[in-house]
Amino acid sequence: MRGAERQPGIEQQEARIAWTLVLPALLTILLVALFPLLWTAWESLHLHDLRMPWLGRPFIGLQNYGEALSDPRFWGSLGHTAFFAVTSVGLELIIGLALALALNRAFRGRGLVRAAVLIPWAIPTVVSALLWRFMFEGQSGIVNALLVDLGVLREPIVWLIDPVAAWVPVVLADVWKHTPFVALLLLAGLQNIDTSLYEAARIDGASAWRQFRHVTLPLLRPAILVALIFRTMDAFRVFDLIYALTGGGPGTSTEPIALYTFNALLQNLQFGYGSALSVIVFLITFCLALVYIKILGADLTGGRR
Amino acid sequence: MPQRWTAIWLTSALALGGCGGASTSTGPAVITFPISALGAEGRVLVRQLSRFMAANPGIKVVQRVTPDAADQKHQLYVQWLNAGASDPDVLQLDVIWTPEFAAAGWILPLDRFQPDTVAFFSSTIEANRWGDSLYALPWFADVGMLYWRTDLMAAPPATFEDLVRQGKRARATKATQYGMVYQGARYEGLITTFVEYLGAYGGRILDGRRVVVNSEPALRALTQMRDQIYRDGVVPRAVLTWQEEQTRFAFQNGQAAFMRNWPYAYPLMQDTAESRVAGKFSVAPMPAGPGGSPTAAVGGAQLAINRRSEHPEAAWALINFLTQPEQMRERATVVGQFPTRTAVYDDPALASGLAVQPATVRRIIEYGVPRPVTPIYTQLSEILQIHLHRALTRQSEPAEALARAQTEMQRLLNRAGLGTGGPVARR
Repeated sequence: MRGAERQPGIEQQEARIAWTLVLPALLTILLVALFPLLWTAWESLHLHDLRMPWLGRPFIGLQNYGEALSDPRFWGSLGHTAFFAVTSVGLELIIGLALALALNRAFRGRGLVRAAVLIPWAIPTVVSALLWRFMFEGQSGIVNALLVDLGVLREPIVWLIDPVAAWVPVVLADVWKHTPFVALLLLAGLQNIDTSLYEAARIDGASAWRQFRHVTLPLLRPAILVALIFRTMDAFRVFDLIYALTGGGPGTSTEPIALYTFNALLQNLQFGYGSALSVIVFLITFCLALVYIKILGADLTGGRR
Repeated sequence: MPQRWTAIWLTSALALGGCGGASTSTGPAVITFPISALGAEGRVLVRQLSRFMAANPGIKVVQRVTPDAADQKHQLYVQWLNAGASDPDVLQLDVIWTPEFAAAGWILPLDRFQPDTVAFFSSTIEANRWGDSLYALPWFADVGMLYWRTDLMAAPPATFEDLVRQGKRARATKATQYGMVYQGARYEGLITTFVEYLGAYGGRILDGRRVVVNSEPALRALTQMRDQIYRDGVVPRAVLTWQEEQTRFAFQNGQAAFMRNWPYAYPLMQDTAESRVAGKFSVAPMPAGPGGSPTAAVGGAQLAINRRSEHPEAAWALINFLTQPEQMRERATVVGQFPTRTAVYDDPALASGLAVQPATVRRIIEYGVPRPVTPIYTQLSEILQIHLHRALTRQSEPAEALARAQTEMQRLLNRAGLGTGGPVARR
């Protein structure tokens, strides 16, 4: 806390010291974040195809962007990404909230359950993707066996070759893996809520639902916002899960934008076009973050609390 | 270019690490050769290289170990060659890379060394030509073959009709769960399978500068593939997610009457500890349809010379040595890889080493057809994979899939200057 009697000279001096102290960090960020970003943007303005070296590396302006925008596979992958983000993050939020509320109660063995809940999150994505892949494997997968035994299915279906059914293991795997993370974030938020508020609500005769609706939810907003931002951005950049689970198939019907970019950049070695795709992904995630912060209020940047 | 820096850094780091640069003013010519050093294959090669150096005291071969995975190896090679490094001198290429590297000006035409091309299977030579020149020599061959169960039938099917009938019977009698299994996931393997179905009906993918995959034979081939899955039930839907190993597991567990696979599966499935079909299967050429002939997609390793090599003569001497019948026979008997020289198959000693009868192998290789020989094969293949897979998973109709594939592939070819209406781009 600054005292009112401080002189402005000292303040300036402090500011200078502060800047000197953050300068190395700023320079590092500039070097490792901004430089590659600008380089990618510059690269995206060139035709640079390492598998067609005879074409050289001419400057072509915004042509790569034009090509992306007129490419149905690009729009398809963008749609898949959006679909994946909305369904999986939505489910994660709902289930995560329920889980957090349950874990917030005092019961015996709560510590153990809290730790156990984290297991899916601790498993590397590729491993869990393969796990789910095996479970949803064609004729012999356990999911088919179960559904047939229960009479839900008359005969096994090959999940991974159906453009709609292939999404089931993908979304389930993501929900299974990331719900604990969301639950943990929300749990931390719940524990920050003053219990006296609930007591007051109870005295006023508020039902459990009203308490949840008017006490828990508003006060949980910052935590929900953090979870949403983290998870949506992650979901938007989803790569390893789908790469290992469906490979983007059947055809390209589960291909997310990150996989398409990877393909262009690292399989086909189209550095120019791939860079343009990367820049587009960056812009979209960036805008998403801005929108979240705008819509959900200034909770994060420290408004009221 | 960052990748150029990486490549330079990488090569100089390797040079500092003692792998040796190619530039030597006096003493023997040092040539570097990136190889896989795994198991028996590595040991055979070491033996052959020391014989080579003993016979050629003026040349010293330095081995450099590279990743085995094709994609990684490709990426490493592109980095080296794009940076203009003079080593490695001798390159081991996948069959589909030769035109790409040739068009990029990264490898040397071999014509001036006058290689004995007629002694090799013509399909393996054809795959290594670009423009009017030969750019690599086939070292050993991989071919797609039909594995069939000798305990379920007297002879392998010669046509797809036969295959469907026998597959249905095997299923009806509960002898096997599936009729035929092949590599049907969306990856390069799907193209090799398709090339074989396509050849059976007399179709092709590429004709010079024109993509010709939207054709009557292609439509029949793709329809046949789809019908075998959905109409005849001979091919399980799950193959559309399967690569080589899943098909091998199904076949060696006795679940399938037929399998399309590469030669590597043969010795593995003869192992009684692992395989339920040991001694109960054999191989044959893939079936033919009307209008075509049995077809085997060709893979395998090729040897080429880095254009920047400082010792091209020494590099050629090594390639020439490694592709001599004696070395091929040794490789075949120890590692089981198929020689690319026709005459080696007349040698009775070969039969003792190869798991498959040399006469059968020779017959299958003679049906060999290279995949489209073009510098931008990988990208064309990706487009075709997507459209074939869409058709096979019933997201689109075969005719529509082929038409789209052709349009997109031709567009890419044109853009690369390799299609119609533009000069052939070459350095």
